[in-house]
Amino acid sequence: MSAASTSAATFEALDDLDAINKLYRERRWSDGLPIVPPTQDRVERMLAGTRRRRNEVIAVLPPGFGEATVERIAINAVMAGCEAAHLPVLIAATDAAAQAQFNIQGIEATTNPVAVWLVLNGPIVNQLDINATFNCLGQGAWANATLGRAMRLILQNIGGALPGDMDRATQGQPAKYTFCCGENEAQSPWEPLHVERGFAREASTVTVVGAEGTLNMNTHSKEAGEMLRVFAECMVHPASNEYCHGGEPWLVIAPEHADILKAGGLTKRDVKQRLWELSKMPAGRLSVKEVLRAQASRTDEFGEIKPDTLLTISRKPEDIWFIVAGGPGTHTTYVPCFGNSRAVTREIGV
Amino acid sequence: MAKRGKPALTICSTAFQTLGRAQASALGKKDLPIAVMPHPFGLRKRDEVRVIAEKVVDDILQLVTRGGAKSGGAR
Repeated sequence: MSAASTSAATFEALDDLDAINKLYRERRWSDGLPIVPPTQDRVERMLAGTRRRRNEVIAVLPPGFGEATVERIAINAVMAGCEAAHLPVLIAATDAAAQAQFNIQGIEATTNPVAVWLVLNGPIVNQLDINATFNCLGQGAWANATLGRAMRLILQNIGGALPGDMDRATQGQPAKYTFCCGENEAQSPWEPLHVERGFAREASTVTVVGAEGTLNMNTHSKEAGEMLRVFAECMVHPASNEYCHGGEPWLVIAPEHADILKAGGLTKRDVKQRLWELSKMPAGRLSVKEVLRAQASRTDEFGEIKPDTLLTISRKPEDIWFIVAGGPGTHTTYVPCFGNSRAVTREIGV
Repeated sequence: MAKRGKPALTICSTAFQTLGRAQASALGKKDLPIAVMPHPFGLRKRDEVRVIAEKVVDDILQLVTRGGAKSGGAR
């Protein structure tokens, strides 16, 4: 994109971490946690992580329509605790989040708790020590924690999505602090997400997903068909944007579960098809208002929606997406999504 | 639309007034007319919505035709 007309503003501050954090708190430049002060030296070191020009505009981010220059992304990366090698991930993620089909305007300004989830694939997962195994959606990995946090700061400080102002989330969710993981490609019996989405296996990619939350699905089932039935029954919920709009639900399938599904002879496509069939829900389970919302969004698919109309969770089986991630154990995560958003994948350059 | 010289206004509920004003400003249309309805809106019955609509329709027409009017003409 074009170059920004101005560089990021600078200001003098006392060389005192407490005073700086007080200032950032007062100006609402933080996410509520202490930040790493983005001094000029630190920002320069961060910018060494890319060959792009500092004034290059990667995207214009709603709802405030701020210009996300490389330099501004770098400043927020410093604040979040990122290292220089993380910067290209954030540049690619910012570009991805700004694509029309992702609907970042809706995601940031809605009352829905939707968070931006970063999914990493390819060699970069190992290169940056991105956790794709034990507790990959939890705490403990520097890259996961700081990359997800930096994405939130970019959306808040450049995009202007401040809670209560332009971020209208009724309650939000913990994942709005940080939400980032890798796919455990080594333990997946199928092709990884980025290959499925058209990238070379040796490419490194980031996928942005508009995620409403996470729901743990603990099943010790050893039979593929039964396991998918249980997953599908967890995915069915009447207070869902997905059934109203025809969404794009995601799962993080545990390696042990993935092995059982594979042993059952199922391809990725088979898993999606079965989940799509098994998660159909009679419209009568929705509230009257939600049926009206579904009617407004999905008339082209269903015509008149009646109580016995079987609503699908997504418009097509292939709109159900999943990665394989996590360590040993029988826990798979359902990630319901915003509904009016489609995930976007970008290759991570330098 | 407003930037293209077409009459334009935004209709929102009181809970979204801050967002509407901030976005209009960010897009360089600080004076974009915003018609504000009482929140919450989704809980109202259809006949209640009609009463509100009838109350504000003239204000909205006035706002959209004069352009650049002060915000919150319709409440």
